[in-house]
Amino acid sequence: MFDLETQIRDWKHHLQEHSSIGYGDLEELESHLRDSIDELVATQLNNEEAFLIAVKRLGDVDSIQREFAKASTEDMWRQLFIPTDNRLATHMNTRELLVVIVLTLFAGLLGKVPSLFGYGDFEAHGAIYARNAAIFAFLPIALYFVWKRSLPVMKSIVALIPFLIASLVVNLYPSFEPHHTAMLSAIHLPIVLLYTLLYFYSGPATGKESGWRSPHNRLNFIRFAGESFIFAVLIGLGGVVLILLTMGTFELVGIDASPFIQNWMAPMGFFGLFTIAAYLVEQKKSLIESIAPVLSRIFTPLFFLVLMGLLIAFASNPQDAYENRMLLIWFDVVLALVLALTLYSMSAKDQVSASTRTIWDAFTFALLIAAILVDLIALAGIVIRVSNYGFTANKSAALGENIILLVNLVLLASGYMKFFRRTSSFQSIVRMQTRFLDVYAVWATVVVMLFPLVFSFT
Amino acid sequence: MDLSKDLVAASATPIILAILKNRPSYGYAIIRKVQEISKNEIAWTDGMLYPVLHRLEASGFISSFWRTSENGRRRKYYEITNAGIEELLLLKRQWEMVRQALLTLEKEYEGESQDV
Repeated sequence: MFDLETQIRDWKHHLQEHSSIGYGDLEELESHLRDSIDELVATQLNNEEAFLIAVKRLGDVDSIQREFAKASTEDMWRQLFIPTDNRLATHMNTRELLVVIVLTLFAGLLGKVPSLFGYGDFEAHGAIYARNAAIFAFLPIALYFVWKRSLPVMKSIVALIPFLIASLVVNLYPSFEPHHTAMLSAIHLPIVLLYTLLYFYSGPATGKESGWRSPHNRLNFIRFAGESFIFAVLIGLGGVVLILLTMGTFELVGIDASPFIQNWMAPMGFFGLFTIAAYLVEQKKSLIESIAPVLSRIFTPLFFLVLMGLLIAFASNPQDAYENRMLLIWFDVVLALVLALTLYSMSAKDQVSASTRTIWDAFTFALLIAAILVDLIALAGIVIRVSNYGFTANKSAALGENIILLVNLVLLASGYMKFFRRTSSFQSIVRMQTRFLDVYAVWATVVVMLFPLVFSFT
Repeated sequence: MDLSKDLVAASATPIILAILKNRPSYGYAIIRKVQEISKNEIAWTDGMLYPVLHRLEASGFISSFWRTSENGRRRKYYEITNAGIEELLLLKRQWEMVRQALLTLEKEYEGESQDV
């Protein structure tokens, strides 16, 4: 039985997977295909015949892709900020740059919103800024992708609702001493909003494996997020240098620049730099020598050594370790970094070499095994503390996170195991891991939304 | 008679601009229009039209907007800008120049052959 909708979806999916055609362009091509089919069906052809002819008329994926590549800005990052005699490149870049500058200013102004409510002092009301930081930083990025990918407006508005709910929840929920639930919200909100950004980065899904649900797009998003983070850190360092210079030089001429820096320069710069970072990464995404593979190769073996060191240190004196709650927190930080590193090296493994087993996969596997051991130790520690002191917000969050991490690490390790034994492909690890992102998002949402209620806002 | 690939590429811009000068339109309708006026002599591969449209938009000769048609299908419409109208005039003058050059040559050689 020929199902037209399935066929169109597959065709669209194929085009999406094998080319850099953006969401808006793809929708335009689909609407063309459907017009074409309608007209052919009207001339007494059946759906299947009409579909085949319409696809044929549209041309093959390779040539469409080549044509689109010529028209797209992706290969033009080299001309960033450099005057060029290519009119098209100049025009596209200027317009995109304008959009980015406006959005960056918007992010900076969002950072000034608390001062409208009388919380202008960055230092005195740091908690308010910390709670809202993810919203201020990520909302403009979401809007950038709405523009960049010409996403459908209605769906985008719906997808922006999490930002609205988040801003209501973190600001309207009360917070009592010792403010643990509020702090947990601040830590987990970035995860929820990052997951929302995935939607804006990859576009809406038309089927189970397209748009933001496609493993391929999710993997790209992970790399995008990782590289944006690195860019943000670099830009931030530049910003710090600029601030120090401003402060120092103005002091020399007898002007105290610190009020200006505290009220405008630092907050606006901080919230704006994420948009700039996202823009730069998006601009250079076709760049082959991206930083992800290099970093993951340097740090995978090093992290393995750190984890081994941790294990040895723990084995030599387990009792003391369990007494110290700071140690458990640091265990968790290290584990989160290990997971991020694994995700990063997965996304760095390019499609061509995906079926070959390299020494780097072995390193990743070793790292995973060490991480599982560390996680088990951390879990045992948390269980002991829970049985001694009962459930608190912090401990419940830590318990939940460690269990999810453990499940994730075990799934990853067993995936790599099968990959080495050639009983399964690398693609299936990617599929599992990218789906697992849902679990983190759900858990983070629970911590942000429900934990304050359950633990009565303490 | 098939047009050569180069000629198709060169003529696409003025033809598209001329169609859009009349009224805003979308990709599929533009292709049909081209077939209709050329009695199927000028046949573009459908997929090739869109990159051309996007390049024209990027150059500022046309602008686009989404609209939902009566049957619920979302279509991206393109309309000509003032810069596009100017470009069309310029291109038309260029084509006219080439045509005149060919005509003049033809006449000149006709004259010569009569002289012989």
